[in-house]
Amino acid sequence: MADSGSWRPPRPCETYHAEWKLCRSARHFLHHYYVHGERPACEQWLRDLASCRDWEERRSAEAQRSLCESERARVQAARKHTLVWALRQSPPADWHLPVPQEKDK
Amino acid sequence: MKHSGCAINKERHFSCEDCNGNVSGGFDASSSQIVLCQNNIRNQAHMNRVVTHELIHAFDHCRAHVNWFTSVRHLACSEVRAANLSGDCSLVNEIFRLHFGLKRHHQTCVRDRAILSILAVRNISREMAEKAVDEVFESCFNDHEPFGRIPHSQTYARYAHRDFQNRDRYYSNI
Repeated sequence: MADSGSWRPPRPCETYHAEWKLCRSARHFLHHYYVHGERPACEQWLRDLASCRDWEERRSAEAQRSLCESERARVQAARKHTLVWALRQSPPADWHLPVPQEKDK
Repeated sequence: MKHSGCAINKERHFSCEDCNGNVSGGFDASSSQIVLCQNNIRNQAHMNRVVTHELIHAFDHCRAHVNWFTSVRHLACSEVRAANLSGDCSLVNEIFRLHFGLKRHHQTCVRDRAILSILAVRNISREMAEKAVDEVFESCFNDHEPFGRIPHSQTYARYAHRDFQNRDRYYSNI
């Protein structure tokens, strides 16, 4: 986390608002139910929006802590499954080379 | 793709060809080329979906050591991701296929289409394909890179792109 002097919310407050609105929409309910078989949980976006606005108005340390914790939890949740494959350190060497000769068109 | 070091050049990385059967497209890892089956792609919406599907394979090839030809698990993982993230299994597309289901049906569709895709390119038994998909499903279904979410519509895709553009601010402030 950046030091307190230069810290700002990970996303603009408008983004938290937009995510909350999308999450609460009927279309998203349908998409989420179709994928997961349950209703979406949108409360955290609203809490994050409140924290974001709190920080903007009062530079609240508690708001900063809460936002960081929430976003770190999101990152953790996205990374919790072990990948099937090993990630590359660099892209494939032949990506930009001409198409191999044997692939005749 | 560009951010991952694999900028796409339309002339180099796409090839329009006539294909056998009713295959819509494919990713050829040996030539780093996306093949679009010009005789089987029906309309613009279908084209959009096929391009997205194959670009997910290309993205996986770019960012990971995917053993396309020697690991059915690796192939299964990329097919799960492509079916999940390309719109292949949207409610509307499934209804057009006369596959009716709502609660968690998306996952059923992703599994079934991943199996079909594997069988289209590998001479293995259905049981082997099913086993590979089931083994990797939990991990690969929940891997939403590069979007961070399943892009159900343009709105979701826009939000995913917005998050991508915001990534430096995001990771330096959590």
